Amino acid sequence: MKIQVFAVLKDYFDREFDLNDDITDIASLREHLSRLNTSAQGVLQLCRFAVHDEFVDQTYNITKNDTICIFPPSSGG
Amino acid sequence: MIRSAYSHPVAEVEITELSAVPLNVVELLSKAHHPKAGAVVLFSGEVRNNNNGKEVAYLDYEAHQIMAAKMIRTILDDANKKWPLNIAIAQHRTGKVTVGETAVVVITASAHRSEAYQANQYIIDRIKHEALIWKCEYFTDGSHQWGGNCSCH
Repeated sequence: MKIQVFAVLKDYFDREFDLNDDITDIASLREHLSRLNTSAQGVLQLCRFAVHDEFVDQTYNITKNDTICIFPPSSGG
Repeated sequence: MIRSAYSHPVAEVEITELSAVPLNVVELLSKAHHPKAGAVVLFSGEVRNNNNGKEVAYLDYEAHQIMAAKMIRTILDDANKKWPLNIAIAQHRTGKVTVGETAVVVITASAHRSEAYQANQYIIDRIKHEALIWKCEYFTDGSHQWGGNCSCH
Protein backbone atom coordinates (compact mmCIF):
# COMPACT_ATOMS: atom_id res chain seq x y z
CA MET A 1 0.00 0.00 0.00
CA LYS A 2 1.02 3.57 -0.55
CA ILE A 3 0.70 6.12 2.23
CA GLN A 4 0.30 9.88 1.72
CA VAL A 5 0.45 12.17 4.72
CA PHE A 6 -0.47 15.82 5.02
CA ALA A 7 0.42 18.89 7.03
CA VAL A 8 2.03 18.26 10.43
CA LEU A 9 2.40 14.55 9.69
CA LYS A 10 5.15 15.49 7.24
CA ASP A 11 7.22 16.46 10.29
CA TYR A 12 7.12 12.77 11.30
CA PHE A 13 6.94 10.82 8.04
CA ASP A 14 7.89 11.19 4.38
CA ARG A 15 5.10 12.82 2.43
CA GLU A 16 4.59 9.58 0.51
CA PHE A 17 5.92 6.13 1.20
CA ASP A 18 5.16 2.46 0.65
CA LEU A 19 4.30 -0.05 3.34
CA ASN A 20 4.63 -3.72 2.62
CA ASP A 21 3.76 -4.93 6.10
CA ASP A 22 0.78 -7.18 6.63
CA ILE A 23 -1.70 -4.51 7.68
CA THR A 24 -5.33 -5.29 7.02
CA ASP A 25 -7.35 -2.34 8.29
CA ILE A 26 -7.12 1.33 9.21
CA ALA A 27 -6.97 0.69 12.95
CA SER A 28 -3.95 -1.55 12.45
CA LEU A 29 -2.34 1.00 10.17
CA ARG A 30 -2.74 3.70 12.82
CA GLU A 31 -1.13 1.45 15.41
CA HIS A 32 1.67 0.51 13.05
CA LEU A 33 2.51 4.12 12.24
CA SER A 34 2.39 5.03 15.93
CA ARG A 35 5.02 2.37 16.57
CA LEU A 36 7.13 3.55 13.63
CA ASN A 37 7.27 7.04 15.10
CA THR A 38 6.07 7.30 18.67
CA SER A 39 6.23 11.11 18.51
CA ALA A 40 3.35 11.01 16.02
CA GLN A 41 1.13 8.86 18.23
CA GLY A 42 -0.89 11.78 19.58
CA VAL A 43 -1.68 13.40 16.26
CA LEU A 44 -2.39 10.04 14.62
CA GLN A 45 -5.20 9.53 17.11
CA LEU A 46 -6.84 12.68 15.75
CA CYS A 47 -6.38 11.86 12.07
CA ARG A 48 -8.93 10.95 9.45
CA PHE A 49 -8.16 8.48 6.67
CA ALA A 50 -9.27 8.36 3.05
CA VAL A 51 -8.99 5.97 0.12
CA HIS A 52 -9.85 6.99 -3.44
CA ASP A 53 -10.86 10.47 -2.25
CA GLU A 54 -13.44 9.13 0.20
CA PHE A 55 -13.19 8.96 3.98
CA VAL A 56 -12.91 5.47 5.42
CA ASP A 57 -13.43 4.29 8.98
CA GLN A 58 -11.29 2.15 11.26
CA THR A 59 -12.68 -1.10 9.88
CA TYR A 60 -11.91 -0.44 6.22
CA ASN A 61 -10.16 -3.45 4.73
CA ILE A 62 -6.93 -2.32 3.10
CA THR A 63 -5.83 -3.88 -0.16
CA LYS A 64 -2.23 -3.87 -1.32
CA ASN A 65 -2.94 -1.46 -4.18
CA ASP A 66 -4.66 1.14 -2.02
CA THR A 67 -3.31 4.63 -1.62
CA ILE A 68 -4.25 5.77 1.85
CA CYS A 69 -4.33 9.47 2.68
CA ILE A 70 -3.94 10.50 6.32
CA PHE A 71 -5.30 13.87 7.38
CA PRO A 72 -4.58 15.71 10.63
CA PRO A 73 -7.31 18.04 11.94
CA SER A 74 -8.02 20.83 9.48
CA SER A 75 -6.82 24.38 10.07
CA GLY A 76 -7.85 26.42 7.09
CA GLY A 77 -9.09 29.99 7.14
CA MET B 1 -16.74 25.04 -9.82
CA ILE B 2 -19.67 26.50 -7.97
CA ARG B 3 -23.05 26.01 -9.55
CA SER B 4 -26.03 23.66 -9.37
CA ALA B 5 -29.70 23.72 -8.72
CA TYR B 6 -31.14 24.35 -5.29
CA SER B 7 -34.70 24.33 -4.04
CA HIS B 8 -34.73 28.09 -4.47
CA PRO B 9 -33.09 30.11 -7.23
CA VAL B 10 -29.39 30.53 -6.59
CA ALA B 11 -27.30 32.18 -9.24
CA GLU B 12 -24.57 30.13 -10.84
CA VAL B 13 -21.14 31.61 -10.25
CA GLU B 14 -18.14 30.09 -11.96
CA ILE B 15 -15.19 30.12 -9.60
CA THR B 16 -12.80 27.49 -8.31
CA GLU B 17 -12.97 26.65 -4.62
CA LEU B 18 -9.16 26.62 -4.28
CA SER B 19 -6.65 28.99 -5.80
CA ALA B 20 -2.87 28.84 -5.89
CA VAL B 21 -2.68 32.49 -6.93
CA PRO B 22 -3.73 35.62 -5.00
CA LEU B 23 -7.48 35.93 -4.51
CA ASN B 24 -9.09 38.81 -6.36
CA VAL B 25 -11.56 40.01 -3.75
CA VAL B 26 -12.96 42.79 -5.93
CA GLU B 27 -13.55 40.44 -8.84
CA LEU B 28 -15.23 37.91 -6.55
CA LEU B 29 -17.47 40.63 -5.13
CA SER B 30 -18.40 41.68 -8.64
CA LYS B 31 -19.85 38.19 -9.17
CA ALA B 32 -21.99 38.42 -6.05
CA HIS B 33 -24.56 40.99 -7.11
CA HIS B 34 -28.04 39.66 -7.69
CA PRO B 35 -31.24 41.53 -8.52
CA LYS B 36 -33.15 39.79 -5.71
CA ALA B 37 -30.43 40.37 -3.10
CA GLY B 38 -30.62 43.42 -0.88
CA ALA B 39 -27.66 42.33 1.21
CA VAL B 40 -24.20 41.12 0.25
CA VAL B 41 -21.84 40.03 3.03
CA LEU B 42 -18.17 39.51 2.24
CA PHE B 43 -15.75 37.92 4.67
CA SER B 44 -12.06 38.13 3.87
CA GLY B 45 -9.77 36.08 6.06
CA GLU B 46 -6.38 37.78 5.95
CA VAL B 47 -2.92 36.99 7.20
CA ARG B 48 -2.02 39.00 10.27
CA ASN B 49 1.53 39.73 11.28
CA ASN B 50 1.47 38.12 14.72
CA ASN B 51 0.25 35.10 16.62
CA ASN B 52 0.79 34.15 20.25
CA GLY B 53 3.35 36.92 20.63
CA LYS B 54 5.43 35.84 17.66
CA GLU B 55 5.93 37.80 14.46
CA VAL B 56 4.46 36.00 11.48
CA ALA B 57 6.37 36.14 8.20
CA TYR B 58 3.84 34.27 6.06
CA LEU B 59 1.47 31.32 6.00
CA ASP B 60 1.59 28.32 3.76
CA TYR B 61 -1.65 26.49 2.99
CA GLU B 62 -1.78 22.86 1.96
CA ALA B 63 -4.94 21.14 0.77
CA HIS B 64 -6.17 17.85 -0.54
CA GLN B 65 -7.37 19.49 -3.71
CA ILE B 66 -10.14 17.13 -4.73
CA MET B 67 -11.63 16.46 -1.32
CA ALA B 68 -11.26 20.03 -0.05
CA ALA B 69 -13.04 21.44 -3.10
CA LYS B 70 -15.81 18.88 -2.73
CA MET B 71 -16.21 19.70 0.96
CA ILE B 72 -16.46 23.42 0.26
CA ARG B 73 -19.16 22.73 -2.33
CA THR B 74 -21.02 20.61 0.22
CA ILE B 75 -20.80 23.37 2.83
CA LEU B 76 -22.14 25.92 0.35
CA ASP B 77 -24.95 23.52 -0.59
CA ASP B 78 -25.82 23.08 3.08
CA ALA B 79 -25.89 26.84 3.60
CA ASN B 80 -28.18 27.21 0.63
CA LYS B 81 -30.54 24.68 2.17
CA LYS B 82 -30.56 26.45 5.53
CA TRP B 83 -31.01 30.03 4.28
CA PRO B 84 -32.66 31.56 1.21
CA LEU B 85 -29.44 32.72 -0.44
CA ASN B 86 -29.15 34.19 -3.89
CA ILE B 87 -25.38 33.85 -4.00
CA ALA B 88 -22.92 31.74 -2.00
CA ILE B 89 -19.25 31.84 -2.93
CA ALA B 90 -16.15 30.58 -1.16
CA GLN B 91 -12.59 30.53 -2.37
CA HIS B 92 -9.51 29.51 -0.37
CA ARG B 93 -5.85 30.05 -1.10
CA THR B 94 -3.22 27.36 -1.24
CA GLY B 95 0.51 27.89 -1.08
CA LYS B 96 2.40 30.84 0.38
CA VAL B 97 0.26 33.76 1.56
CA THR B 98 2.01 36.81 2.96
CA VAL B 99 0.94 39.24 5.68
CA GLY B 100 -2.03 41.35 4.57
CA GLU B 101 -2.98 38.99 1.76
CA THR B 102 -6.35 37.27 1.64
CA ALA B 103 -6.37 33.59 2.55
CA VAL B 104 -10.08 32.90 2.17
CA VAL B 105 -13.13 34.72 0.91
CA VAL B 106 -16.77 33.91 1.64
CA ILE B 107 -19.54 35.94 0.02
CA THR B 108 -23.23 35.49 0.65
CA ALA B 109 -26.10 37.44 -0.80
CA SER B 110 -29.74 37.31 0.16
CA ALA B 111 -32.85 39.45 0.21
CA HIS B 112 -32.10 40.67 3.73
CA ARG B 113 -28.89 41.01 5.73
CA SER B 114 -29.73 38.62 8.56
CA GLU B 115 -29.61 35.54 6.37
CA ALA B 116 -26.50 36.71 4.55
CA TYR B 117 -24.63 37.31 7.82
CA GLN B 118 -25.69 34.03 9.40
CA ALA B 119 -24.92 31.98 6.33
CA ASN B 120 -21.56 33.64 5.87
CA GLN B 121 -20.43 32.80 9.41
CA TYR B 122 -21.76 29.27 9.07
CA ILE B 123 -19.77 28.76 5.88
CA ILE B 124 -16.45 30.12 7.14
CA ASP B 125 -16.74 28.25 10.45
CA ARG B 126 -17.28 24.96 8.66
CA ILE B 127 -14.54 25.59 6.11
CA LYS B 128 -12.06 26.30 8.90
CA HIS B 129 -12.97 23.20 10.85
CA GLU B 130 -13.90 20.63 8.24
CA ALA B 131 -12.31 21.30 4.86
CA LEU B 132 -9.08 19.44 4.21
CA ILE B 133 -6.96 22.57 4.28
CA TRP B 134 -4.05 23.11 6.63
CA LYS B 135 -2.10 26.21 7.44
CA CYS B 136 1.51 26.36 8.50
CA GLU B 137 2.68 29.57 10.10
CA TYR B 138 6.21 30.66 9.36
CA PHE B 139 7.65 33.12 11.86
CA THR B 140 10.34 35.72 11.40
CA ASP B 141 12.54 33.86 13.90
CA GLY B 142 12.75 30.96 11.44
CA SER B 143 10.40 28.60 13.27
CA HIS B 144 7.16 27.23 11.96
CA GLN B 145 3.97 25.78 13.39
CA TRP B 146 1.15 23.83 11.79
CA GLY B 147 -2.41 24.93 12.47
CA GLY B 148 -1.23 27.72 14.74
CA ASN B 149 -4.17 29.98 15.41
CA CYS B 150 -7.09 27.72 14.64
CA SER B 151 -9.54 26.93 17.39
CA CYS B 152 -10.11 23.44 16.04
CA HIS B 153 -7.20 22.00 17.99
